[in-house]
Amino acid sequence: MTETMARPPLDKKIISKLEEIFGEERVLTRNTDMITYSYDASFETQLNPRKPEVAVIALSTEEVSQCVKLANEHNVPIYPRGAATGQTGGAVSTKGGIVIDLSKMNRILDIDHRNMQVIIEPGVVQNDLNEALKPYGLRFPPDPGSANMCTVGGMVSNNSSGLRAVKYGVTRHYVLGMEVVLPTGDIIVTGGAKSKALKSVSGYDLAHLMIGSEGTLGIVTRLRLKLLPLPVTRGIILCSFKQLEDAGAAVNAVFSSGLQPSAIEIMDFNCTKAVNMMKPELNLPVDNEAILVFEVDGAKEEVTSQVARLKKVVETYASYIKFSDEPEECEKLWQARKLVGAAVGLLKPGGFRVYGGEDICVPISRLPETLREIHNIADRYGIVCGIYGHVGDGNLHTGPVVNSNNEVEMENVQKMIDDIHDLAIKMEGTTTAEHGVGIVRAKYMDVEHGPAMDIMRAIKRTLDPNNILNPGKMALPN
Amino acid sequence: MKVLTPEESMYTCVRCGACRGVCPTLNITGREADGPRGRVLLARSVLEGEIPVNQEIKEQLDRCLLCSACVDACPMDVQVPDIVMVAKEQIAAATEMNSFHERSVKIDTSQNDIKRTAKPVRNVKDFFFDKVLGDQKNLNKVGNLLWMYQKSGLQKVTRAVGIMKFFPEQMQQMERIMPEILPPSKRKHHPEFTPRANDTKETRGRVAFFQGCIMDVMFRETNDNSIKLLSKAGFDVVTPQTQVCCGALHHHSGKTDKAIELAKANIAAFENANVDYIITNAGGCGAALVEYEEFFRDNPSWLARAKKFSEKIRDISEIVVEKGELPELAGRGERVTYQPSCHLQYVMKVKDAPAKLVKKVPNAEYVDLPEKKYCCGSAGIYNMLQPELANEILDKKMEKVKETDSAVLITANPGCFLQMKLGVHREGMDSVIETKHVVDYLVESIERAEAKTPS
Repeated sequence: MTETMARPPLDKKIISKLEEIFGEERVLTRNTDMITYSYDASFETQLNPRKPEVAVIALSTEEVSQCVKLANEHNVPIYPRGAATGQTGGAVSTKGGIVIDLSKMNRILDIDHRNMQVIIEPGVVQNDLNEALKPYGLRFPPDPGSANMCTVGGMVSNNSSGLRAVKYGVTRHYVLGMEVVLPTGDIIVTGGAKSKALKSVSGYDLAHLMIGSEGTLGIVTRLRLKLLPLPVTRGIILCSFKQLEDAGAAVNAVFSSGLQPSAIEIMDFNCTKAVNMMKPELNLPVDNEAILVFEVDGAKEEVTSQVARLKKVVETYASYIKFSDEPEECEKLWQARKLVGAAVGLLKPGGFRVYGGEDICVPISRLPETLREIHNIADRYGIVCGIYGHVGDGNLHTGPVVNSNNEVEMENVQKMIDDIHDLAIKMEGTTTAEHGVGIVRAKYMDVEHGPAMDIMRAIKRTLDPNNILNPGKMALPN
Repeated sequence: MKVLTPEESMYTCVRCGACRGVCPTLNITGREADGPRGRVLLARSVLEGEIPVNQEIKEQLDRCLLCSACVDACPMDVQVPDIVMVAKEQIAAATEMNSFHERSVKIDTSQNDIKRTAKPVRNVKDFFFDKVLGDQKNLNKVGNLLWMYQKSGLQKVTRAVGIMKFFPEQMQQMERIMPEILPPSKRKHHPEFTPRANDTKETRGRVAFFQGCIMDVMFRETNDNSIKLLSKAGFDVVTPQTQVCCGALHHHSGKTDKAIELAKANIAAFENANVDYIITNAGGCGAALVEYEEFFRDNPSWLARAKKFSEKIRDISEIVVEKGELPELAGRGERVTYQPSCHLQYVMKVKDAPAKLVKKVPNAEYVDLPEKKYCCGSAGIYNMLQPELANEILDKKMEKVKETDSAVLITANPGCFLQMKLGVHREGMDSVIETKHVVDYLVESIERAEAKTPS
């Protein structure tokens, strides 16, 4: 365990005050509890778990506000946490203090379907929200791979997105307003305190300052989200390419033909191999450098015509094409993409998939050379990896697989992660497209932002003068 | 067989959190330690000697229902219940012996209570698992005693005298919802062979019926009905008389030696039956039977036999849906819902066969139970060991049952049946909601149809 206690241990009086706010049952201090709050889904916290001194389970805005006020008065760091499915260490403690678990604040408060919006608490899980919206023919579109388990509060704090961002954008595009507990414990509502408007340009857009701030500026306690109609149906085209460059050219050709796929996913040869290992019956073609999976959506007749057009465009470049606009067949074709994240773990027996260097984003035009370069880096360190991602916006997920008891591999994979991040910057890209900065990518903030970092730090100091909210993240003042 | 051992499997957990949404205890408390991800890490910390064995860690791991919902949700199939079990076994051994195993499990002497409570509990468990469940004759004697208790008026007397008040609340309630035990005369051996009901039709297969231990005493009628249902659906049914308890409860309580002994006896008993499939009507037993292979990883001759045995295991709903042909069914205008058995849906991967069968009943309306993914809280004897948490889980479950406004609540496992019946009783709805095993419901529907159209 990493003990990063640069401060004196928490006063017993603070624990009693927390018990007054939350009740004894929701104030956790036992060692077993602290162990389980010492990680998120990041590789970093697997290597170096970070225990808080106390964890509290919040049920209301009022509780959050009182807790933050208490923390601010006594200079105790406080770390908001949703489902802890993040891959950056964003939801864990860096120097003891309080972890505030918001996953039980999970009520859907108002499905205002006539106004195409919903009001929820931050702990609602993305998929649960969409299940609840289904009967109304509506949905909240951002679709991270972790939609089954991640909270919407976490999505907003990290400005998450997923494979359909290429058509539907990212979480930011669907947040109309929010209630936030500021580092002082004060509560504000942004996006118009009483507004139910779908558009507004009134004043500084504070909601959008909060989005992606990873819990360093405030704790989101309520969200007003914009909804879209459910797509009626979809079509899938799966095609394979002898050369990475052909796949790149196919993507360009699709965009310039006026088609707008709802997803364009790439899987490299190792991913193909891994998926075939997991589901041999899918029988993906292996003699190639990459597979692309296109998805189109819309009304039935629209989808049928889009599938036909898309197929025509990619035919020139692909060595193998399979397509369908029938739901069952689509589901089968889509499985290849759906399984890949877990399947890469199979590339090495008994190995586990490391989430690190997993979220870079480069210009679409530089994707082929980036993919090749990542494999060069991996080869250099003798590490097997599969690369897949959202090629439509240049976002690549690299999945190195290692054995945790192999010390050399464990060391090398960390070097490999650094090299991938450096590569992203060299390719005029970014180290993170949708997962966030947290602890693990803080060291790239100055390189990526230059003097703009000073402004970020100034904002942080203004809102959180005592630096109590999620300190030690995003290279903000420590 | 599972690809990885529990110890190997725990290192493949990347803590992605995919298990969070299906864990019944996490759903109640929201504490990370009450979720699968937390449990894997805590178990790992014990096994690696990172944290000492003490009452705190024991209590924490004991809260796991072992329902396997998390394994089903896990993209890497991390074997959470097996991992928790291995840790619990080490804790149990360490408490009794002080020093233990090649691993560096450490006993925390600052919390002495763990040693004081371990022994008596273990003695009672030993007796129950070895002498009662492990021996069908003794189990039958217990059944006879229960029958006498119910029939002799003693039940009325104890209830009137209020003696049950001295037992824990959970036991009092259980006593009230216990199914009526059939008299010894009606609990003789099942016929060794029951042919298909309609011999003018071709057979749907030769199957063996696994009767279970508690199932055959406490739920004798459901077992009788199971053989009847199989026969009516076109199967020829063998019921080997040398079969024994599946060993699931032994295994879950860390008594692996006894579980292996029982496994061997069953494998031998069913080899002689020469059948296409072995049928269970209890998800808990079925799940244990399909995992017999795990006991024999290092025993090639038994491994091969176990593999053959496990491959033949089918749940009764599954086999009737896939291979059987049901005769005419008739409902009575009732609304029906179904609470799945965790071991059936998550270990045997039989997700909707019981619902499919219920939907076939005309003049009955099937409604999906919201949040049916969550375990009902029965989980073997969990409801006895963790009454508080089990009751919270049950109360939440009953809220959902009430939402469906159903008159019949279908189950597919004896533990679930009792738990659901207890839930209905606690809600004071005994006269409104009937709890039924899917087999009994189907046989009743068949008999109703037969009564309408006498042949």
